[in-house]
Amino acid sequence: MNFFSQEYFKKDWFGLLIVVLLSGVIISFFKPAFLSSFNLYVLMLSVSLWLVVAMSQMIIIAIGQMNLSVGAIGGLVAISFTGLMEVHGFSIPYAILTGLFIGLFCGFINGFLTVKTGISAFIITLATLYIFKGMNLGITEAQPFYQIPESIKNFGNAKIIGPVPYLIIIPIIITVMMWLLMNKTQSGRNMLAYGNSVQSSELMGISPTKVVITAHVISGFLAAIGGMLVVCRLQLGTPNIGDSWLLPSFAAPVIGGAVLAGGKVDVIATALGVIIVAIISQALVIFKIDPFFVQILLGFMILIAVFINRYREYKEERRKKIFIYEASHE
Amino acid sequence: MNNLCLEIKEASKKFPGVLALDNADFKLKKGSIHALLGENGAGKSTLIKIITGLYKQDTGKLLINNVETSLNSPTEAQNRGISVVHQERNLIRRFSVGENLLLNDLPKNKFGLINYKLVFERSKEWLDLMDLNIDPRTVVSDLTVAKMQLCEIAKALSIKSRILLLDEPTSSLSPQETEHLFKVLQKIVREEDVSIVFVSHKLEEVFELCDQVTVLRDGKNACTSESINKLTRQNLVKLMIGREEQIIKSEKKVVSDQKTVLRLEKINTELGHHDINLTLGKGEIIGLYGLVGSGRTELAKCLLGLEKIVSGQIKINENEVRLDSPKTALDRFKIGYISEDRKKEGLILMHNVLENAGITIWSKIKSFLSFLSDKAIHAKVDPFIRELEVKTPSYSQLISNLSGGNQQKISVAKWLAAGTDILIIDEPTVGIDIKTKSYIHELIIGLAKKGTSIVLISSDMPEMISLADRVIVMKNFKIEGNEPNSHNYADMSSKIMAYIHD
Repeated sequence: MNFFSQEYFKKDWFGLLIVVLLSGVIISFFKPAFLSSFNLYVLMLSVSLWLVVAMSQMIIIAIGQMNLSVGAIGGLVAISFTGLMEVHGFSIPYAILTGLFIGLFCGFINGFLTVKTGISAFIITLATLYIFKGMNLGITEAQPFYQIPESIKNFGNAKIIGPVPYLIIIPIIITVMMWLLMNKTQSGRNMLAYGNSVQSSELMGISPTKVVITAHVISGFLAAIGGMLVVCRLQLGTPNIGDSWLLPSFAAPVIGGAVLAGGKVDVIATALGVIIVAIISQALVIFKIDPFFVQILLGFMILIAVFINRYREYKEERRKKIFIYEASHE
Repeated sequence: MNNLCLEIKEASKKFPGVLALDNADFKLKKGSIHALLGENGAGKSTLIKIITGLYKQDTGKLLINNVETSLNSPTEAQNRGISVVHQERNLIRRFSVGENLLLNDLPKNKFGLINYKLVFERSKEWLDLMDLNIDPRTVVSDLTVAKMQLCEIAKALSIKSRILLLDEPTSSLSPQETEHLFKVLQKIVREEDVSIVFVSHKLEEVFELCDQVTVLRDGKNACTSESINKLTRQNLVKLMIGREEQIIKSEKKVVSDQKTVLRLEKINTELGHHDINLTLGKGEIIGLYGLVGSGRTELAKCLLGLEKIVSGQIKINENEVRLDSPKTALDRFKIGYISEDRKKEGLILMHNVLENAGITIWSKIKSFLSFLSDKAIHAKVDPFIRELEVKTPSYSQLISNLSGGNQQKISVAKWLAAGTDILIIDEPTVGIDIKTKSYIHELIIGLAKKGTSIVLISSDMPEMISLADRVIVMKNFKIEGNEPNSHNYADMSSKIMAYIHD
């Protein structure tokens, strides 16, 4: 059997895995410091946060929509979480639960408005982005909350073993859950079916209301977790948490082969996309390259990823044309 | 006790400006295949939508198994055992066949996770039942159109549907595939206690498959649940259009001083066309006949510059040309293309009648500073829209609100307005009723008389033989035969079939 015709070779994640391994090997060859304990720790911290943010966007991409308000939800939850503890004296579990609830609720609003008005999610979440951000600034008056309980600070700093931070546990659990959701549950499959074709899925008896609201609620929930993870890491709650999430939230799913029109996302490939972006950002720091270059490189990576996907689609179409032609003449 | 599984009694449905159904009756016997016929706009789709729960009749009754029922949504109709197999393929293309069949209720393990092994096992049973040799793991987009359709039927059966509505199921199938479909339908009617409502414009199929027929005309019953044995083709046509069918034939032309306008020499394409040689004279209609997938549409797309030509020459008026885009083809060489896929390629559904009809002439009539005035477009396209008797309340009506036949007329009008010299017409009458079909046939012949050269792609043998001056038979992306049309059906059809099945 030809090596290139193996099943895994066609998967989105396979190529990305090669890229991750290769870039790791190449970078550590030139700069062994890349594999230093501290560096790996920083790398994993960065992967932790972006994993959650990417999943929050990915689930909306799966249903063929966009969520511009991921960062605004994350930010609102982050300052609510810290503000409730500092100003209102909430205990940690209550603050976490309230934070999660705010995320769920914001997601519900997004989903409910999108499905009930029929207005595109792009517009709805653009509007809620400003609303959530405005609430954030209204609550904080643009001032950070500094009084973070020690246990949260410790959680943000602690390592399980070697360079592995405690913080990474939650994103790993989320990634596994997301994989199960998208691949092994009825509601995940319903979302992908809806993303593939709204009309067909509806005729198959899938409820659009349920699908859209569920996806947005999960997205809001994940954004909320992302916001609180940043608080653990920064050890404070600043009003600008989440401001920089929007574009990276699309980068990883797109590098992972997601189709923005909906119906195709790959959880593992998205996670690898996150890792690639993190490695490259990190490498440029190690090589002392100007930070603006990170952006340029990220831009090129997205282009390359999209080109590769387009090329594979093209190949696939050609193959299918011939295949179908033969099949109808058997 | 009668054995009706579905009955509609004196149903009327009014839309703003039209009475779509006017006291219509419909009776479906258990275990029968019942043809529902009528021209576009006769009320068929309204009746179907009532049966499937999309519309509710204003007056009249709907009975399922002799019990009066009201259906408020497609889901409710599905729960009552009524399923539609739509013209548009309603499967999730990126999902496997098995998952599509059972998507409403995928088998799960005790943790609530989908058990794919069971999905494929159970769906395989439904596929086997229909004699479908498909691996349930196959991704739907890998299937042929015919198999997708059979999968949709399997899906309907899997959700325990006992009444199946098939809306023009054969419009994109080859003769062999149609035959297979019919075998399957007859089998499930016999063995699975299923009744079928069959909507089609192809009367040959109705006679082959159905045992009863209901014809609608202008929302009223022209006949109700008549046994098919009592009717002839002429009877049916008369019931549908209210007059006898007119058979149109293009007379044989004198081909003495015919100038060649298009010449293909030894064309090989990236898609696999091999050694294509072809000529097209001024005012000539050549027909490209072949099975679905023989490379006819693909050849047309090469002429428009949409697919790559690897070697060979294209000559227009005996000058060698390069066609690199549809824009070049239209603007410089006046080659127009009427797509077989109206909805996807031919028309912009979100735009109105005027914009669609005028799109091909925008570049010609734009004024100083490229402004387009509706008035100028109107003046250009109005004569053609009138000539084709397009039924539209106004030119600002959205195309998506017109019937299929009228949509097709607009896509023809668009190219008429453009004043093309060479017009490629791909399956012009798929899904179009008999009356509009003859209009379109007259129109094609009229165009050729005025000097337009026409390449007609059609899978409809009678259409081919009544229109073409020459029939080119394609098979496996090659030209197999080039036969002057004798206009004698028996003679021509056997010659053509011989090329395909040698």
